[in-house]
Amino acid sequence: MILAALVVPAAVAVWLLSAGRSLTHRASNLLATTASAVTLVAVVAAVVVRPTVDRPWVPSLGLRWELAVDGISAPLLLLTALLTVAVVVHTTDRPPVGGTSAAFHACLLLVEFGALATFFARDAVLFFVAFEVVLVPMWVLITRYGDAHRPAERAGAGARFVLYTAFGSTLMLVGVLALVAKAGTSDLDVLARGGGHGIPGHTQAVIAALLVAGLAVKVPVFPVHTWLPPAHTTAPTAGSVLLAAVLLKMGTYGLVRLPLASVPEGFARVAPVLAVLGAVGILWGGLACLVERDLKRLVAYSSVAHMGFVVIGLASGTRTGLQAALFANVAHGIVSALLFVVVGGLKERWGDADLETSRAAVREVAPRLGFALVVGLAASLGLPGLIGFWGEFLSVYAAWSAEGRPLALFRTLAVVAAVGTVLAAAYALRVARVVWAGDRNVPLIADTRSSEWLVVAVLVVSTIGLGVVPGPLLALTGGAVASIVGAAP
Amino acid sequence: MSSLVAVDWPFLLPVLAPAGGAILVLLLDAVAPALTRVHAAVGLVALLVGAAAAVPAIATTGDRPLRTLCLPAPEGACLYEAGAVAGALQVGALLSALVVLLLVWPSHHDRRALRGGPAVVVCLVLGATAGAAGVAAAHDLGSWLVCLELATLPAIALVALRGTRAAGRGALALLTTSLVSFSMVALGAALWLVATGEAVFASGAAQQALASSERRPVLLLGVLLLVAGLGFKLSLVPFHAWTPAAYAGGSEPVAAFLAATSKVAALAALLVVLRPLAQEGSLVLVAVGVLAAGSMTLGNVLALVQDDPVRLLAWSTVAQAGWVVLPLAALNPGSAPAAAAYLLAYVIATLVAFVVVHILGPSSSLDGPQESRRTLVGYTGLLRTRPLLGAALGLALLSLAGLPPGLVGLVAKVFVLRPVVGESQWGLALVAVANAVLGIAVYLRWFGTLLRDPDAAGSGTAARPAGRRLRRADLAALLLCSTALVVTSVMPQLLFGLVG
Repeated sequence: MILAALVVPAAVAVWLLSAGRSLTHRASNLLATTASAVTLVAVVAAVVVRPTVDRPWVPSLGLRWELAVDGISAPLLLLTALLTVAVVVHTTDRPPVGGTSAAFHACLLLVEFGALATFFARDAVLFFVAFEVVLVPMWVLITRYGDAHRPAERAGAGARFVLYTAFGSTLMLVGVLALVAKAGTSDLDVLARGGGHGIPGHTQAVIAALLVAGLAVKVPVFPVHTWLPPAHTTAPTAGSVLLAAVLLKMGTYGLVRLPLASVPEGFARVAPVLAVLGAVGILWGGLACLVERDLKRLVAYSSVAHMGFVVIGLASGTRTGLQAALFANVAHGIVSALLFVVVGGLKERWGDADLETSRAAVREVAPRLGFALVVGLAASLGLPGLIGFWGEFLSVYAAWSAEGRPLALFRTLAVVAAVGTVLAAAYALRVARVVWAGDRNVPLIADTRSSEWLVVAVLVVSTIGLGVVPGPLLALTGGAVASIVGAAP
Repeated sequence: MSSLVAVDWPFLLPVLAPAGGAILVLLLDAVAPALTRVHAAVGLVALLVGAAAAVPAIATTGDRPLRTLCLPAPEGACLYEAGAVAGALQVGALLSALVVLLLVWPSHHDRRALRGGPAVVVCLVLGATAGAAGVAAAHDLGSWLVCLELATLPAIALVALRGTRAAGRGALALLTTSLVSFSMVALGAALWLVATGEAVFASGAAQQALASSERRPVLLLGVLLLVAGLGFKLSLVPFHAWTPAAYAGGSEPVAAFLAATSKVAALAALLVVLRPLAQEGSLVLVAVGVLAAGSMTLGNVLALVQDDPVRLLAWSTVAQAGWVVLPLAALNPGSAPAAAAYLLAYVIATLVAFVVVHILGPSSSLDGPQESRRTLVGYTGLLRTRPLLGAALGLALLSLAGLPPGLVGLVAKVFVLRPVVGESQWGLALVAVANAVLGIAVYLRWFGTLLRDPDAAGSGTAARPAGRRLRRADLAALLLCSTALVVTSVMPQLLFGLVG
């Protein structure tokens, strides 16, 4: 089942790139939809049955195809598979500009393949290899299929994306290799069980610093977040969704799997720095959102702020914090996907996404789209009852009660993060006021329909559903989290 | 004679087959000069036989290499010693020469493309390949030096044969550096002999020399000179200056030969020197580390601004040579296999790139000024206009950059970083990280033009190479090395298993 979930998207993508190059948009979309649906079924089955795969790949490197599912990866696997179906369906009515449709779909499927492989991987080196797989297809999506009006900006954004994240992942590779050399195994489960025993403290700190620094680029954490806004602004809607909802999660997932589980002692030394940077990211992202004129870039900055909450939760090192981080991860995936679909749709209809231009109130001319926007914004500001609330609330709580960490610092950070939620409310309401409210109804824009509406509806339902009933998701991650953090509260 | 030196002919076949092939081609040329294709076919067969004969060495385990040409006891030193790494390098040298031979395959209409006729080219390629195969397994100073020069001198002639002014300049640069490098290597060899008292690369004698405070500086100086001399051949900074001139001056197949077979020979020679020093030599390690860091950085930075694909590949050779010697800067049992594995991955990918450049390039005929037309813009939209060539080149570039789907390059980078990180050389590791990113920028710049829309390029359309008709031999070369690239990308262990 795991193999099916990986082979299907990869094989279809390769076929689309080679033999299926001249396929029409409709045909390649149908094929990609089928492939992603089959993958989703396989992933669901894998999450239920929890099979494992273990076969050698490059014996001289000790590299194995070691794949499995556990509570930490299961929600992210489901999220990835679901959102790939969503973006492929979303593409049905909008043939990509800038290249062939077959190649566009192939890139989407390759990103899915890379992300699924990353989440399935149980071998540290295999994790790195899978981590790198998404780079080229995503780069192609940004530079070839991005914003058609600004080719230079597209190339710049794509290059920045690839170079930043490649720098991060190579740094991570150095950390992984150091870890593997010191611990003598690259099996993530064995590493997690070992918990860094036998590795001296300062070596652990160096390894953890390398891993955290490398993964922080992908998350992204404050000073290295600058690749994200341009990439989001220029990427096509499907690319933005995958970028926000899947690629960023690979960073946080890596933080849980590698430094947190394998070198806890070293991670404890790095954690305060990471938490401070996360808090700065919350404030920075929130402030940027208050003044940003480009709607898509604004959503991108809000991503930086949200990932700040995830990072603080991780850095707290408590079970609640980890749970909060994993929950906020999924929440951000769904909410940002929703927002990017809506905002991308608005940009498509308006021609650009400048907030200063006066336009028709979305509430008046496109009520369904407007409703989705408001749900997305409300979830983004952490309104109770929506999915965004739980992750951020628990994350702040975890920082407040972070035992075993410098408590004064973490309590300050909890306050800062709480201020960040106020900022989130401010910018969310600003967007709602400018875009949604009002009574102008020219120029008219079409409301959402067919495939777009379907995708939006599914995302809105999950936003509300998981907000009202967060239990199952928390239960899904609970067991695995306990095994990593131990019995800490 | 047989009582003096024991000879196992099959072991020597990887060297003897190409050398014999070269002589046979010369004889054939004297008897029947018109049968140019037969000459080339003889060359192909000789290389194939050599490669097949090198395979058994790969199967040997670490401490039991194939030995022959052994002197009688009590010294019992063997002049020819081929372990797994040496065997893999021999196969790499022989097969890369095979691809080059396919690229210079004579056809009816450009029989006089190169002065001296096709037979001379075949003969030179075979001769240099014999040297490359020999140096990998040479275990004494004499045969090591002879094989090293045998691998170098024909390459100079190959560059010069093209007869253009640029070729002359390139050949001159190559000749000058070869002479300098030879003098350094010869001096280094002499110092080695003085320090160890033996003309054999034996670790026992080297250890004794290192232990004695008088002989230690002599030996280290000798090794440094040897490393510097080999730095010329590997085009490591600061000994790299000949590389762009020679690559751009010679025809694309010759540049491919310099980038692939010659580099295999140089690395093989370096490994032979460094192997006896496996336990000691911090000074040598530092020197190698500095060379690696400098080459990577300068090569990548200058590759970033090149517009001629061959010059870009030349600077990328400099950068990749830095990656190749990177693991040798760490004392680790995995270093030598890692360097060899990285080199083989690089050779495959760069051969694919050169084959595509050769197929698309302005015809390698007699007129020189056309070279100025070989620009990156000419590759705009290659994936659309010629999917097979575009896909092969794209995969090759991604492999060189170390990005999936060019997995072989990525796994190779993991291989070379492992010893460095394992020995906690953080500074060197960070330089490597920065250069991995720079390298990605270099190759993505070219890859990006492949993807671009050919019709939207506007001015670029005029400069697009018309592309010669795909000859059967070129197609064979392309299929051979791009299949190798695809297969090793899917199953990297096929390549990395070779080196043990």
